[in-house]
Amino acid sequence: MFRYVLKRFSQSLVTLFIVVTVVFMLMRLLPLEGYFGDGYDKLSEEQKVAALDRMGLLDPWYVQLGNFYVKLSRGDLGTSIIYRRDVPVTEVIAPRIPYSMYFGIFATLLALIAGLSLGVFMARKKGRGLDKAGTAYIVLINAVPSAVYLLFIQLYGTSLFNLPILFDKYRVKSWILPAISLSLGGIAGYAMWIRRYMVDELNKDYIKLARAKGLPEKLIMVRHVMRNAFVPMAQYLPAAILSTISGSIYIESLYSIPGMGGLLVDVIQRQDNPMVQALVLIFSSVGIIGLFLGDILMAIFDPRIKLVKGEGSR
Amino acid sequence: MKRSFSFCLAAVLLLAAMVAGAAPKSEDYYAVYAGELTTLNYLVVAAENEHSVIANIIDGLVEYDKYGVLVPSLATDWKNSPDGKTWTFTLRKGVKWVDNKGKDYAEVVAQDWVDAAKYIFNKKNASLTAKIAYDVIKNAKAYFDGTLTDFSQVGVKALDKYTVQYTLEKPVPYFLSMLTYVCFLPVNGQFLEKTGTRFGTDNKNVLYNGAYILDTFEPQVGRTLVRNDKYWDKDHVFIRRLSYKYNKEASTLGPELFLRGEISSVAVPSSLIDTWMKDPAKKAIVRPAETSSYTYFYTFNFNPNFEAQYEPDNWKEAVNNKSFRKSLFHALDRRAAMITAEPYAPERRLQNTITPRNFVNASGKDFVDMGDLSKYSKTDSFSKSLAVEFKAKAVAELAGKAKFPVKIMMPYNAGATDWTNRVQVVEQQLENLLGTDYIDVIPVSFPATGFLGATRRKGNYAMQECNWGPDYADPETYTDPFITGSNYNWPEKAVGYAQANGKTVYENMVDAAKAETVNIAKRYELFAKAEAYFIGEAFVIPYAIGGGGFTASKLEPFSYPFAPFGMSYLKFKGQTVMQKPLSTEAYNKMKATWDGEREEALKKSKY
Repeated sequence: MFRYVLKRFSQSLVTLFIVVTVVFMLMRLLPLEGYFGDGYDKLSEEQKVAALDRMGLLDPWYVQLGNFYVKLSRGDLGTSIIYRRDVPVTEVIAPRIPYSMYFGIFATLLALIAGLSLGVFMARKKGRGLDKAGTAYIVLINAVPSAVYLLFIQLYGTSLFNLPILFDKYRVKSWILPAISLSLGGIAGYAMWIRRYMVDELNKDYIKLARAKGLPEKLIMVRHVMRNAFVPMAQYLPAAILSTISGSIYIESLYSIPGMGGLLVDVIQRQDNPMVQALVLIFSSVGIIGLFLGDILMAIFDPRIKLVKGEGSR
Repeated sequence: MKRSFSFCLAAVLLLAAMVAGAAPKSEDYYAVYAGELTTLNYLVVAAENEHSVIANIIDGLVEYDKYGVLVPSLATDWKNSPDGKTWTFTLRKGVKWVDNKGKDYAEVVAQDWVDAAKYIFNKKNASLTAKIAYDVIKNAKAYFDGTLTDFSQVGVKALDKYTVQYTLEKPVPYFLSMLTYVCFLPVNGQFLEKTGTRFGTDNKNVLYNGAYILDTFEPQVGRTLVRNDKYWDKDHVFIRRLSYKYNKEASTLGPELFLRGEISSVAVPSSLIDTWMKDPAKKAIVRPAETSSYTYFYTFNFNPNFEAQYEPDNWKEAVNNKSFRKSLFHALDRRAAMITAEPYAPERRLQNTITPRNFVNASGKDFVDMGDLSKYSKTDSFSKSLAVEFKAKAVAELAGKAKFPVKIMMPYNAGATDWTNRVQVVEQQLENLLGTDYIDVIPVSFPATGFLGATRRKGNYAMQECNWGPDYADPETYTDPFITGSNYNWPEKAVGYAQANGKTVYENMVDAAKAETVNIAKRYELFAKAEAYFIGEAFVIPYAIGGGGFTASKLEPFSYPFAPFGMSYLKFKGQTVMQKPLSTEAYNKMKATWDGEREEALKKSKY
């Protein structure tokens, strides 16, 4: 196990290095005028050079890259050059992570509870009214652009239940609709997949055998069907929880939640290189850790899965 | 005795209340916004997001009143030397720098303007407004470039504690108007040094001498400005609190928030205006929004740098023919184009000149009514008969030189709904009038990100809708896009316009106007002549002014500082939040009154 962790850790470091370096290079390919915004036409050449110099963009790319890694090795992610000029990147990012994580974790838990319950009921009542209603919900969520139903929920939900239209961290009522909105996609996703895996499992021979042996239906469902159906989903669970750090672009925008949603898009558009590099580093790390934990979780749920190669028999 | 004392007390209170009632009453102001500040370091920024706060927290030497007349602010009076190059300002005494809690930090003194200039002209600080100042202040450019290291030779000096002196490279008639912009605001040098690179990074790292203090500031959450009780002119600040809530979808949610009474003012988007106008209750709270001094025009590109499929060489041949340009000039129906943005009142944004009406005037005569320019400002250039007449001429003159139909590559920003609609209207309208055997207008969409870099600045267009905003109160500011070195439409490359000195006819006319720095009326006449020539030769087709649209707002219009450029119009000083939003009728009535009062005020104005 230790060897496995060490190997994955080394692979992760290489992956991170490649991702961050590629993003670093891509950002340097963007047009220089993007660093100046709307005022570009009114600047002299001298001003443009001075501004680029301040942003450290006049050095050759390999010097810039070297400087970045030297600073990173000291734990310094740099300072924002445009988005929040002269403010350390960590100061910009740190206050936003908790908002996205609180909402994300709550929404993931809600989605897990509601989605798995719905999926299990749909599988058990396959072809009946509940299954059809659940399918309709899943189709609706996946087919209708989220911008449409989320805006609808915000405008009509707030007036119907007398809830605040914008988020306010001091008003608990204002947390309700964004959290529910955030879980809608997850509920549909978990319901769809657990139903599918359960229906697959129900058709397998070992279930027929269990039934033939006279095992109670409830026991078959809980101990055999659900457990096996949950294994493929378990792999993605840690990544889903950890990725809540990146926030939700649209919901956070709609409700004025000061989270991480949309931050990466914003800073790419503004060409704030230190911010982009730091966010890519964080998001990539989270993705890699999530996948790693997923593998371990899957092995826990399914004893047949081994993370390290056994010697086997000859 | 007791009763008579009570009576006296009541009388005093009543009197006090009556006196207090003389000052306009105002509710607090609430708003949502989608564009966050990047910094509060006003010495380096040049964007409206930042200006909207800076204008309310820092005062400069002079300011505009509600009619657009320059009046004293932190300078109580000033004088200009006979050669027009030296301006000396006497400061108001006892004005305080305060921190974000309203606590005194220091007195505002003349050295604060010197310290600000020293910071702005230090290349390392990369101030985006440095050029505006170093273009006029003596030796400032040399100091910025590093060829001069002794700052005492730069033309900004504190003669004593309360006297600031600017020395200019040459007389600049509009210098006073420049002083309202960020690069001429003061800074406390001691505080600047203490905060270093943290200056302006949040509301604690900046000092305040203006009407408001930034009480709270949480990026991407919101901000609150409260009235500065130590402000030198606090009697003219009526709104006590300005509360802003950040919302990236502010333009979508704004109208609903306004209807629920959660915000005080909102721009009603063109996609909603029909719905609102059909609902009597909503119609009653909608009024026209103010227009701006941004000028919009269609440019013809004399330096085509677009793909071969759009035939750049053929375009170059065609665009160098004046009759061809004139045919398009007279064929463009501005009103039809404007309906895509202003379906209810398109006329109020249309203009036939580059410089907008009401921008500057000399002795009460508007710039656009001067000399040859008046013939364009008063006539719509759209004329079917002239368009067809010039088309016939162009076809004859270009026979054997250019291929018809001439492909006209017309880029547009796909992120702007109005523009996307407008480009289709312009295409159909021009082709219907002039014929598809003559022109083939080809709209080409580009993404919003990096739009200008991909199109206009590269010369990647044949004909394009462009705009320009003024930097100071002088018609010279509207000539900048069309002089050599700019990247709008390169008129210096047009065939047949070069003169003996290597400059174009237009540039020589502009230089002659710039050289007149004493007689303002003559200076404006010369600029008007140059602009009339430029329009007459059809280098561009003037189209419209910016701003406009509709708003639902409780903010009292025509009461805030008025200026067609810079950031003065973003001030809340003098404004009130009314209990109800104005209707269009009430607004128009107020505007008519204001127009009349302004005319009188401008006539009386010395500056």
